[in-house]
Amino acid sequence: MSAAQIRFFTLLRREVNRFLKIKRQTIGAPLLETFLYISVFGAALGSRIDKLHGIDYVVFIVPGLILMAWAINAFSNNSSSILQQKFQRAIDDQLSSPASPAELLLAFSLGGFLRGMLIASLTFLAASVLTDLPVEHVLVLIPALFLVGMFFAQLGVLVGIRAEQFDDVAFAQTFILQPLIFLGGVFYSATLLPEPFSTLTHFNPIYYMIGLVRYGFLGYSEVNVALSLILLTAVTSALFLLNLRLFRSGYKLRA
Amino acid sequence: MTALQVSDLTKRYPTGTEALRGVSLEIQPGEFFGLLGPNGAGKSTLIHCATGLARPTSGSIRIFGHDAVDHYEQARIAVGLAPQDLNIDWFLTLEETLDYHGGYFGMRRKERKERIAELLDAFSLTAKRNDRTRTLSGGMKRRLILARALMHRPKLLILDEPTAGVDVELRLELWHYVQRINQEGTTILLTTHYLEEAEQLCDRMAFINDGRIVAEGTSDALAAQYGVASLEDAYLELVGRKELSRGILAGDSGEATS
Repeated sequence: MSAAQIRFFTLLRREVNRFLKIKRQTIGAPLLETFLYISVFGAALGSRIDKLHGIDYVVFIVPGLILMAWAINAFSNNSSSILQQKFQRAIDDQLSSPASPAELLLAFSLGGFLRGMLIASLTFLAASVLTDLPVEHVLVLIPALFLVGMFFAQLGVLVGIRAEQFDDVAFAQTFILQPLIFLGGVFYSATLLPEPFSTLTHFNPIYYMIGLVRYGFLGYSEVNVALSLILLTAVTSALFLLNLRLFRSGYKLRA
Repeated sequence: MTALQVSDLTKRYPTGTEALRGVSLEIQPGEFFGLLGPNGAGKSTLIHCATGLARPTSGSIRIFGHDAVDHYEQARIAVGLAPQDLNIDWFLTLEETLDYHGGYFGMRRKERKERIAELLDAFSLTAKRNDRTRTLSGGMKRRLILARALMHRPKLLILDEPTAGVDVELRLELWHYVQRINQEGTTILLTTHYLEEAEQLCDRMAFINDGRIVAEGTSDALAAQYGVASLEDAYLELVGRKELSRGILAGDSGEATS
């Protein structure tokens, strides 16, 4: 391996080891949360709800739960990791190393991306055992999940850079991200909502992400799949470029 | 080739504070150089600009010929920084702290392992290698920070107030260690508030005040420049507190008791 490769893998190893060291919090808790969602919404409530668009209710919600697991974990990992290292000024060790802004950004991004992927994969495995979860369009599902993971990883980096206290991260997650995910249609179909809520849902970007992932798994979608993929690629790229600019300028990282 | 060449460096913070106002400085390879000045004089800002932790507003910094701002990779490989703040990740072990640092500088696993063992031994930290850094005492954290700065074998070691708040034993231990690596060829830039430390260790030193280098030379040359007998008196002249001179205080005391 070249010196640059060793450097990048060390930056990434640090981020991965960080969440593996606190597995109960970073892996165990999200898995338990997803299991509870499947149990409560799927088994308990689902037994009283008939099929949605011809799909069992518990199966209908699983794609959204997988997306939610990936999104929230990618976001919270990156925002917390960056803020914690800024808070302790431990991040100075990376910032004063020969690592480029792009290497730093990619390593921080992939840390959360991989944590989200791990939890989403475990959720998928558990859901496959508990339900008859199909995978109808794998060529849509893989890029959709990749883009969703990368979008929230970038969002976590952005919030982590901007944050000055842990309350800033908690605010973004509790008051912005989670409501958008819940109201994006993880647990229901937007077509069932009365007006104006049905129309309002179309202004929620996460609605389109859930639509894409649900199409990948179930073959059912309320959104234009091609257009949603293009738009998701565009906003994820825009976020990456914004973060790269922040790392290059040293915004809230370097004096 | 000059170890550190700073030319007309300015640093203005977004708040408008001008921390550096046209600093120029040269440190030769193998030198032990002291940078002295009161709090807020610009010492740490200068160090941060040289190590990539702050962005200069104008001017240039070259480390062993490499531009530290635009072509920073080689410049940063040449520098090791032991900062004033104990900026270590509380959740890492000592070994991980050094291992990651070595990795950032492209050191291979075998080389990292050997260097970690060598440094932990040199700083009497081997028994703590698997402990988390938050469990260390202040003195041990200070040693770890110095070990981390040396991990990638830098040619220029920057020590930003390395002995602030440490006990006499550790201070002497650190002095011996940095003197030894200086004799082995490492260039050292030291900032300190302890003038006896600067006199004991440094070949040459500079006074920085209000973002400007105001005097530079050996301890004797600085005293001569201010027309006083010691480095301490020269420093007191610099900060405008010559009434605190030991000579004057001794004289006052003598008058009071006679």
